[in-house]
Amino acid sequence: MSEINIPINQPPSITISSGEYHQRWRLIKDALARYGVVAGGLGVIVAIVLIFFYLLYVVFPLFISANAESVSEYAVPEQALGRTLLLDIEEQNEVGSRFTDSGQVAFFEATTGKTILTQAVTIPEGAHITSFAQGSPINEGAVVYGLSNGRAIVVKHQYKVTYPNNVRVITPSLKYPLGEQPLVLDDSGAALEQVAVKVGEDSTTIVAKTADTPQGTGKIRLINFQKEQSLFADEAALTRTDSVLEQSASNIADILIDKDESNLYLISNDGQMGFFDISDKSSPTIRQQQNVVEAGQKITSVAFLNGDISLMIGDSTGLVSQWSMVKDKLNRPAMQKIRSFKVSDKAVVAINAEQRRKGFMTTDADGIVGIYHSTAERELIKERVSDALPSAAVLSPRANALLVESADGKMHFWHVDNEHPEVSVKSLWQQVWYESYPKPDYVWQSSSANNDFEPKYSLTPLVFGTLKAAFYAMLVAIPLALMGAIYTAYFMAPRMRMYVKPSIEIMGALPTVILGFLAGLWLAPFMEEHLTGLFATLMIVPIGVMLFAFTWQFVPKTITNNLSEGWDAAILIPVILLSGWFAFKVSVPLETFLFHGTLRDWFKAELGIGYDQRNSLVVGVAMGFAVIPTIFSIAEDAIFSVPKHLTVGSLALGATPWQTMIRVVLLTASPGIFSAIMIGFGRAVGETMIVLMATGNTPVMDLSVFQGMRTLAANIAVEMPESEVDSTHYRVLFLAALVLFMFTFVFNTLAEVIRQRLREKYSSL
Amino acid sequence: MTAQHTRTHAIDVSSVLQGQKKSSEPNEPCIKVENLNLFYAQKQALHDVSMEMSKKKVTAYIGPSGCGKSTLLRCINRMNDLVDNVTIEGKVLLDNENIYDKTVNVAALRRRVGMVFQKPNPFPKSIFENVTYGLRIQGINDKRILEETVENALRGAALWDEVKDRLNDNALGLSGGQQQRLVIARAIAIEPEVLLLDEPASALDPISTLKIEELINELKEKYTIVIVTHNMQQAARVSDYTAFMFMGELIEMGTTSELFTNPRKKQTEDYITGRYG
Repeated sequence: MSEINIPINQPPSITISSGEYHQRWRLIKDALARYGVVAGGLGVIVAIVLIFFYLLYVVFPLFISANAESVSEYAVPEQALGRTLLLDIEEQNEVGSRFTDSGQVAFFEATTGKTILTQAVTIPEGAHITSFAQGSPINEGAVVYGLSNGRAIVVKHQYKVTYPNNVRVITPSLKYPLGEQPLVLDDSGAALEQVAVKVGEDSTTIVAKTADTPQGTGKIRLINFQKEQSLFADEAALTRTDSVLEQSASNIADILIDKDESNLYLISNDGQMGFFDISDKSSPTIRQQQNVVEAGQKITSVAFLNGDISLMIGDSTGLVSQWSMVKDKLNRPAMQKIRSFKVSDKAVVAINAEQRRKGFMTTDADGIVGIYHSTAERELIKERVSDALPSAAVLSPRANALLVESADGKMHFWHVDNEHPEVSVKSLWQQVWYESYPKPDYVWQSSSANNDFEPKYSLTPLVFGTLKAAFYAMLVAIPLALMGAIYTAYFMAPRMRMYVKPSIEIMGALPTVILGFLAGLWLAPFMEEHLTGLFATLMIVPIGVMLFAFTWQFVPKTITNNLSEGWDAAILIPVILLSGWFAFKVSVPLETFLFHGTLRDWFKAELGIGYDQRNSLVVGVAMGFAVIPTIFSIAEDAIFSVPKHLTVGSLALGATPWQTMIRVVLLTASPGIFSAIMIGFGRAVGETMIVLMATGNTPVMDLSVFQGMRTLAANIAVEMPESEVDSTHYRVLFLAALVLFMFTFVFNTLAEVIRQRLREKYSSL
Repeated sequence: MTAQHTRTHAIDVSSVLQGQKKSSEPNEPCIKVENLNLFYAQKQALHDVSMEMSKKKVTAYIGPSGCGKSTLLRCINRMNDLVDNVTIEGKVLLDNENIYDKTVNVAALRRRVGMVFQKPNPFPKSIFENVTYGLRIQGINDKRILEETVENALRGAALWDEVKDRLNDNALGLSGGQQQRLVIARAIAIEPEVLLLDEPASALDPISTLKIEELINELKEKYTIVIVTHNMQQAARVSDYTAFMFMGELIEMGTTSELFTNPRKKQTEDYITGRYG
């Protein structure tokens, strides 16, 4: 029967050499393909690892601790001029200055101690310096000398920078903003035991405590000079206002005036702080009198933090507490302790604030110098700078150098490396009590008009915003995309599916910037205008569809039979459009009838829910629209590729198509559906343009659907162009990027692991 | 080549038939097919098929590939409805009731007419859940009833002893033969009247095939069975009646012994002696 002969034993007709060539060429192609794929895969991994490490590399300096190292040590310059009242150093860390109790000022080279210049403040014959205070280190820092004859001299010291022959030369000099003649503060000539000054642009305030004299007890006097620029004369006229505080002047140890010259703080020996409102210079009023240290302890040092809003108060137990203005229950400003630092076991002898940040330096009775940051609650440096007790210390304006004079007549010049003190895990992720905030809070506010306000880098509201935006987007996208996928894959007529699936996938190719643009400029105002219509649509459209489905069964078979199976979806389109239109039409009278005005006002008035035009609802819809194609496409593929023999097997057991879909198809497609949702979520988390344009970018932590948010991605896009390279802000933005990266990485990995496990479970289908 | 000569080469049907216990009950028609025509779009797949299948007997459909035997089988539980562009003319009567009547509930019909496919198709669920699937979709969730049914069905499918200790394991972990018996258990768990077997052993190894055949012999005590098979020896071993189909037409139908030993038609003889197929 075997007519066909297969010549098995005969050699093939092609020659062996060409066969070998062919074989070798095949092997080469095989190897090339293999190495190509391996190289591609490794390239992707390497790229991702590099991105990760680059982010880490930029972020890392935020978390390294500060360090200080000694640069030089030398004998106190011009020791003969007297005891140091104040040390200062200028911005470039080149010139230091020493204000002595004899009214002399010595300027010297900060690194070597070589004297550049000494100048004397003119003290009248017969008088001597009884008190001294620094106004503010900033703006040619004014100092005031209180004299034994009831007079005071205000002196500014300035450093003029010139570049002769391209070499920087810093020339120090003294200036008298209120004239070289001492100002008479006390007519009776009582010595000024304590004095304080604040020199502003047009106003200067001096507060002084006079000594007890035979004529009467000491008083606290407030003198204000208001500069009034005459329109015609070059000379500005000074208007003087005098007043006396109704406060016992005894045991006042320190006087502080804030930079607006509207708040005055009197610190007394027994641990009391008096807080006065001096906005009206002619009638200062007391606002608060409070004990600021534990009973029995003494206030050993006090200083304003940069911005003059917070007082840092150091006590004899080594505790430094920060007191800041907080509105009390009656909405009156009151000083309240917002945090404290245990700096040492010994008394804190000096506190110096940083001039541009909310950091401060402490010096304790043991000679240990510490640098701290108040809001980040970080201890950055704790070093013994000298073996002898420090007698004066100063932190340079850029906080990158410090100068300490010790009791053994030595000057210590240290270099400080402290780039990013304001960032700590607490300040990034936990509630922080910022100055002038009523309570601890999560705040992102990276820039402000001036240095007095610290940047607030809490990533929590951004992460919250990211998740909130993704949540609302998924709330819109998951039901629509999954139900669409189920219908398209399982119930729809194949010919209709041929059109529907690619159409939805093309939606995914729409640039998100267009979606964001439409969402921000059209959808957001539209929603604001037609909020009731929108809610009415959500209720009326399903009812309309149900009604239509109910009536459909009464339609004669002759008509329904003409409709081929699976095309029922198409006839629903006009029904949805019509009921949607009806909902919008009916919403206008409905709104007036039910809510007596607009629904937004009703929300505001009745429920206390505010309405932002750019809110989560808008983002949910717009970003949902962007995410739907992704979820739809993957889920549809997963459902469509459920093996036919499973659905047929279920139907053969008497299951209805619906039961088959729920119990067999969805179960089998679950790995695919799961990964569709996770990929959609990943996209929603990383999406930038839509949230940038449609959220309002307000970093608030509010779950309300009518409030906006700011996401990590949008935040980076908004702020990266305006951040200075290598600044803290810049690095925190990179940290935000790293967090975003970790977010998507963790979600995708998790999704992949779960998907693999599910797939393993159903692999032998 | 004479018929005599061929027969010595062909299957020794009589020896196979002698080993079989034949049902001696009177023939009572359970399924009647009357003038059935079936079209896939324009192409006619079944030509005017009429036949009767007896209650609690095994009827085998044999014939070359594409002859329409599977299509005919699928008409009995209306599985062809799932194929697009199918037109069916004629009647299929189950207990004297036309299953193609407009009023017939297809899901209910399929509950009465169980089906097992060529490729084992357990659901990606536990063995227990696979067997109880048919009950659960009818809304039966009573644990006692379900457990009882599972045991009976698995015993009925000769699988109980092999899986009784791992009812909660995934059914996909079973071997191909076990999976096919599980699918049979799943089908008989809802106690259908008719069991349609579409080449149930063609994807299995010889030992599993033997087990399935033994099972069919036991199952016909309770069910009317229609089996499609490529394997003529199998048809001879398991069936009481055999129908030979060719090009969408029913050529000949009769008791298995008669059809194999003394075919009336030349085409039948050619097929069973191995001329084609």
